[in-house]
Formats: sequence, C-alpha cells, structure tokens
Amino acid sequence: MMHSIAQKEFVSTLRDKRFLVLSVLVLALLLAATLVGRASYQTLQQERQLAQQTVNDQFRHQPARHPHRVAHYGSFAFRPRSGLSLLDSGVDSFTGTSVFLEAHQQNSVNFSQAQQSGSLIRFGEMTVAFVLQMLVPLLIIFLCFGAFTQERETGTLKLLLSQGVSLRQVAWGKIVGYSRAVALVVAPALALAAVLLFGTEEFASGADLVGRLGLFVLSYAVYFFLFIVGAVVVSAVQASSRAALVTLLGLWILGCIILPKATANLGATLYPAVTKAQMDADVHEEAQHGINGHDPQDQRSAALKAGLLKKYGVDSEEKLPVSVGGIVMSESEAYSAKVYRQHFADLNATYERQNRLSDWVGLLNPYQAIRPLSMGLAGSDFAHYVHFQQAAEAYRYALVQRLNALQTSMGYGDKERKLDAHTWQQLPLFAYQAPPLGWALPRLLLPVVALLLWAVGLSWLGLRLISNSRLA
Amino acid sequence: MRIFWLLFSYEWRHFRAAKGLVLLCALLLFTGLYGIYYGTTEIERQRQHLTTLPELTRRNVKELKVKFPGPTDAGDIGYYHTTYAVHHPDAWAALSLGQRDVNPYYVKLRLLGLQNQLYATDNTNPMKVLSGNFDLAFVLVYLFPLLIIALSFNLLSSEREEGILTLLLAQPVSPGVVVGAKLAFRLAVVLGLAWLLSVVGMLWAQVPLDGRVGTWLGLSTLYCLFWFGVALIITALQRTSAFNAVTLLGVWLLLVVLVPSLLNLGVAAAHPVPQGIELTIKQREEIHAGWDRPKTQTMNRFFALYPQWRDTATIRERFVWRWYYAFQHLGDLAVAKQAAAYANGLQQRYDLVEKLNLLSPAINAQSSLNALAGTDLPTHLKFQRSATAYHDALRAFYYPFLFRKVEFTHNDYAREPTHTFTSQPELSTALRGLGKLLLSVGVVFAAGLLLLRARPINPR
Repeated sequence: MMHSIAQKEFVSTLRDKRFLVLSVLVLALLLAATLVGRASYQTLQQERQLAQQTVNDQFRHQPARHPHRVAHYGSFAFRPRSGLSLLDSGVDSFTGTSVFLEAHQQNSVNFSQAQQSGSLIRFGEMTVAFVLQMLVPLLIIFLCFGAFTQERETGTLKLLLSQGVSLRQVAWGKIVGYSRAVALVVAPALALAAVLLFGTEEFASGADLVGRLGLFVLSYAVYFFLFIVGAVVVSAVQASSRAALVTLLGLWILGCIILPKATANLGATLYPAVTKAQMDADVHEEAQHGINGHDPQDQRSAALKAGLLKKYGVDSEEKLPVSVGGIVMSESEAYSAKVYRQHFADLNATYERQNRLSDWVGLLNPYQAIRPLSMGLAGSDFAHYVHFQQAAEAYRYALVQRLNALQTSMGYGDKERKLDAHTWQQLPLFAYQAPPLGWALPRLLLPVVALLLWAVGLSWLGLRLISNSRLA
Repeated sequence: MRIFWLLFSYEWRHFRAAKGLVLLCALLLFTGLYGIYYGTTEIERQRQHLTTLPELTRRNVKELKVKFPGPTDAGDIGYYHTTYAVHHPDAWAALSLGQRDVNPYYVKLRLLGLQNQLYATDNTNPMKVLSGNFDLAFVLVYLFPLLIIALSFNLLSSEREEGILTLLLAQPVSPGVVVGAKLAFRLAVVLGLAWLLSVVGMLWAQVPLDGRVGTWLGLSTLYCLFWFGVALIITALQRTSAFNAVTLLGVWLLLVVLVPSLLNLGVAAAHPVPQGIELTIKQREEIHAGWDRPKTQTMNRFFALYPQWRDTATIRERFVWRWYYAFQHLGDLAVAKQAAAYANGLQQRYDLVEKLNLLSPAINAQSSLNALAGTDLPTHLKFQRSATAYHDALRAFYYPFLFRKVEFTHNDYAREPTHTFTSQPELSTALRGLGKLLLSVGVVFAAGLLLLRARPINPR
C-alpha cells in the first residue's frame, strides 16, 4: 500500500505543472551553476598555476645575489583550488589567493574575490552548493506543503484511511514519493558534476575525490530527506495548506537567511579578534625584547657570538669558519617565527571559537549543519584554508632558514659576496598538497552528528506526531 | 472617504486580532533593532581599532628614540618607522556597513615601495564575511519585502476564500476603495516600522541631521512601496492565497537572490579584473633588480622625475639610503599602469552594476544605501588614492633629509606628516538610486492599477 501511495505521489507530482516549471528552473540553475563553477574553477586554477610557475621561474633564474637578499626577494604561495570547490566554493571568495613569503615576517593572504566584486557578492554566489542548500529546500517546500492539508481539504484522506491504511503508512508513502521526485531533479546535475570532475582531474587523487564526492552526495541526500519529512510533518499538523506553506517558508527564511548571519555576527561580537596592526606590533615587541621582556635581541646575539667563539676556540669573529651574521639571522628567524606562530595560533583559535558557535547552532538549524559539512568535503572551508596558511608558513620558514644556512657557511665577510644562480635552482619550490579526506572528516563530526540527529529525530518524532493525531 | 477610514480601522482591529501578524511585526522590529545594535557596535569597534593606531606609532617612535639616541641618518628612520593611513567611517556607516569588513580600513606604511603595502588586508575571519553583515540595510533590503509579502499575499483572496468579499461588495463600496484601504493600512504598518527603525538607527548612530536623513527615508520608503506595487499586481490577478504567496516569494527570490548572483557572474565575465597579483609580482622584480643595476642608471632615472635633487652628491658608497629609496619608488612607478588598470577594472565593474541595477530594486536599494553611507567600492578607491597621496607626502618629507644629508633628530618625528581620511557619502549615486527606485515604483503601480481596471474584482 505504501508503495502505491509513493507511486501516486510521484506520478501526480510529475503531472503537476507548477512542479514541472519549478524543477526545470532548479535543474537549469543547477546545470548552469555546475558549468559556471567548472569554468571559474579552470580560469582561477590556471591563473594561479601560471602565477606560481612565473614566480618559481623568477626565483630560479635570479642573478648572483647574497642569500639574505634572496630571503627578502622571497617567494609567493598561491592557493590552488580544490577539485570539488567547483561544487561549493565555500570561503574561497573571501580568502585571499596569494601570500608573499619573505624573511622576518608573515604576511596576510591578499586579493580576495570579494574585494573585487563590490557588494553584489553579498547577495550570494551562484554555485551548486547555493542551489542545493537554499533553492532545492524551497522546491521541496512548494512540493510538499499540501501533502496532508490538500488531501484533507478535498476529503480524500478519509477515503484513504477507510482502506485500512495507517496514517504512518500514508506519511511514509508520501515521503518516498516526493523523495523520488526530488532525486529526479538533483541527480542529473550531480551526475554531470561527477563527469566533469573525473573527466579532467588527474586520477592521482582519484580515490580521495570519489570519497569526498560520495559523502557530498550522501549528506545532501540526508539534508533533502529531512526537509521532505519536515514539510510533510508540518503539512500534517497545520490546519490549512496556506498555514502550512507560510510556516514552512517562515522556517526557511529563519534557517537559511537570518540565523546564519546572526550567529556569525554574534560570534564575532563575543570573541573579538585582534587587528593585523596590533598583532604585528605585538609580534615585533616580543621578537625584539624577548617573550618575557628579559632577553632583548642584542643580548641574545651577544650571547650567541660569545658561545660561538668559545665553541671554535678562537678570540675574534674574523677567525670563525662561519658567518656570525648568518647564525644571528637564523636564530632570530627561529625566534620570530615562534612568536608569529603563537600569535597566528591564537588568532585562528579566536576565529574557530567564532565559527564553533555557528556549528553548534547546526543542532538547531540543519542549514548550518550542511553548510560546514559541504564546504569541508569540498575542501573550501576555514580548516582547509588554515592548512594552506600553515603549509605556506612552513615553506617560508624552511626556505629562509636554508638561505640563512647558506649565509652562515659563507664565513666571515659574507656581506661582500654573492652566490650564483645555480644555488637558487637547488632550493625546493613551494608545492601545496591539500589534505586528504581522512584529515577533514574528524573536523566535520559535529555537523554530521547534527544532520543525522535531525534526520532520525524528525522521522521518529514527526511520524509519531502524525500517527497520534486525529487528522482526518 | 468615510468608507475608506471605516475599512482602514476595521483592518486595524483585524490585524490586532491576528496574533501571527503582530508577532511577525514584533519579530521584525526586534531583528531591526539587533541590526542597528550590530552595525553601531561594529563601527564602534572599527573606530576603537583606529584609535589604537596612533598609540602603536607612538610605541614605534619611542623604540626608535632608544635605538637611535642622537641625530641619525633619516634612511634608518624611514625604514623602521611605521605610520598608518586611516579610513574613518562616516556616522552613517553604522546603518549600512557595505564592504567595510572586506576592504581594509587602515594601511600600514613605511617609506618603502607603496604597492606591496597598499593591498595588505587586515585580519578577517572568512566564515564571518561569508555570512555577511546583519545591519539595518540588510533588514530593510532583505527582510522588509518578506514582511510586506506576509501582510499582503492574501489581500483579497482570504476575504474571497472566506466568503466575506461577496458580502462586502454587495454594499455600496467600490472595489478600488476596498483594495486601497487594505493596502493603505498595510503600508502604514510597514512604513511605520521602517521609519521607526530608521529614526532609532539614526539617533543611535548619531548621524548629522542633514539632507541624507531625507534621502535615507526616501530610499527606504520607495523600496517598500515597490514591494507593495508588486503585491498589488499579484492581487489584481485575483488568484488563490497559495498562488499569491508562491508567486510573491518567487518574485522575492528572483529579485533579491537570483538576479544579484547571476549579475555578479555576468559582471565578472564582462570585466575580468587584471589580477592584482600580477602587479605585486612585477613590482617585486623591479625593486629587487634595483640592487643589481648600476647606481648611476637608477639615479638618473630618478632625477629625470625629480630634477630638484639632481645636484646632489654622486653615490660612491656600497650602500646609501637615498639610492635604496629611489629604486623602491621606481619599482612603484614601473607598475603604475597595472595599478591603474586594477583600480579601473574594479571601478568599471561597479559602474556596470550601477547601470544594470535597474533590473533589481534590491541591488539598487542596497548600493544606494551603501553609497549614502560611504561604505562602497568608490569610497575605498578614494581612500587608496588618499593613502597614495600620503605616501607621496612622506617621501617629500624624507627626501630633503636623504638628499641634503640632513640628520634626523628627535624633534623631526613630530613634524612628519600624518594621514586621515573620512568617508564621504556619494550623494549623487544615492540620488540617482532614488530616481531609479521611483521609476520602478511607478512601473509596478501603473501595471497593478491597469490590471485592476482591466479586470473588475470578482467576489468569487
């Protein structure tokens, strides 16, 4: 019986002109978003690859220079976009694309898309995730708001129940029927996305990509399922179709528009972050004067020099086999990098606290559970961004220390001398490896739990509510 | 007229009885107040941050005075001394934050090459900027249309569905007056809320009472009127409440969500902005090549631009600051074209949106409010130009020290130029937006009234 109800809902949905128009619209948007996402992914990726190539070539073909000059000449790290970011670009548009890596300091990641788009970008970006997270739920609402109310208004529910079917069976039948209809709209776009992804992407990261895409599809399936169940439940408990529709739309607006903004802003208000100017000044202060103010930099270098003279058993700097300048440089880099790392860790911890609030609200609002989950799987969330930042910093530190070591080995009077281009070609280049799925998953536990709790809780509680009520 | 007021007061009683609607209005009032609170605290926070900058500069000067106790080479000071170009918000920014969270509101400057300092961003949480600002402009542009839809989607249809319309129209009342009174009542509720929130916001943010008060009220009023016009059209179609709700929300979705995001794609495709990164890469090449070039070549290029220093001593030393700063500046000049292209590209995108925002009154209202508050792209570009001028002034201040070999004393810190820039509203943009909104309102009301006239109201 449940199957025939499901079949009936499916067929009558397909016959419904309103649904047809809406689903064609949503499908068209999904396909367009996929293609646009693909195109923008390719251009941005090419631009960044080209830029990375350019700076790498420039680095390798430098003229003869003193190593410390090269440390200031520095390098750039460009953030490659993750393969799945064509589905969900996450925070990509709001983080910068490149960071300048140089001696003594850690720079900000600059040139974000958001700075180049004016205020338009604030209305939302047309991506697959945007359609899936906001528009498909709307489609579901329009599809399901009359699930029970319409039957009641036309008097068919009584007829149905007189056949000996339970309300629970009717509800499940409807849920299954609507799920099929929704799958019919969403599946082609996701299939296209999968084809696009695997058509050109190198198969090296294939397994990881398949895993991410699989979980991506699965999470959205759960997300849509709970919207369908929710809409059917609301339709059952509301008195009229109109009331059901208004309630559902109200919930959509609250969940998809008001709450995410409000929690993000509340988080920023509750846990204020330090400005770059303040942070740079603090870092400078600590690096110069020691973390506890006891050992200023010149004292540290004097001690270092004394230690060196003792170690090599000589009485003057000229007789040392190594360059004191290089060693001091290397020590102070280690020190300032430590200070920087501490401050960046604090800053990121503040941001994570801000974002955590939003993640917890995911327990109340499924939109705020699917959003971090989707971004995390697509490799475009805050954690992946921090991973890049840290990789860039690790490279910067290693590069600068290599250069300092080169300077050290030049011995006394190094300032007058230069090393030739051959030296620079030996240095490793920056190559970013995005973290695997196994790294991302533990960070996504909270949204996964929230989404599952919603799906199970809603099915259990909602259907209990339906079967216990006197609806007919 | 008496009948109009009778219907109007009847609507008021009806509205008070409908708990849901009162609740909705209260909710919107509350979110509006939160928006004002958030906007003002956000701007207050930015102001707070800006006030710490002179303190940071003082700390820096104190440190330099210890490091260089006597008169010293100004080159050292120019290298180690940091100052800030600051972008103070206008009081109105609290009501419409615009891009102030994405674009940096201060720039840290040293005497070195400008371009790689100009684009450094502040610390930002990308998740937070992704979610966007919850300011009064957001409440007005995004949420007020929804209130209007909730209040008006069943303007006539509910009466018809409950069978009251037949009774009502059996009386000597013209259908136009019925629709008019109902619309007027809802208009009074919505505009009352919008004005109340606006006035509270203005008082809270302590905006100066000038012409902009009227412009803001005009913009928000016309924007609300536009949505009432859309509701009028849908009412005139005389369909069921469910149809009306779905259609109105569809229009909302189209104008507030879909058109802006599609326009964003279109504009980005029409005006690909030359990546700023190209500029910084090129500048780095130029500056670092400065070390390797013969000094006379660098100085001759510099003197061609600044002949007043031509008679200074020829450089024979291995390193001297005036040569160092000369090639830093030449590095900036080498990318002047790219810098201009970058800024122009952004401006062109903005201009194109300005032209096309007639497509969506939501974009128009948002950009007009941002223009009024001076929180949009043109203001940011003005700030960047002002920061550039400040960098020029710094160079002009240091050059006599460097080229005439004047020693820098402790008293000279106080003589150094400082920078301040306060957002100016772009009134002309806001007024143009007002005109375009007026046009949109005219179109929807004309269409609605024509429809009403063409199809007399059917009680059933």
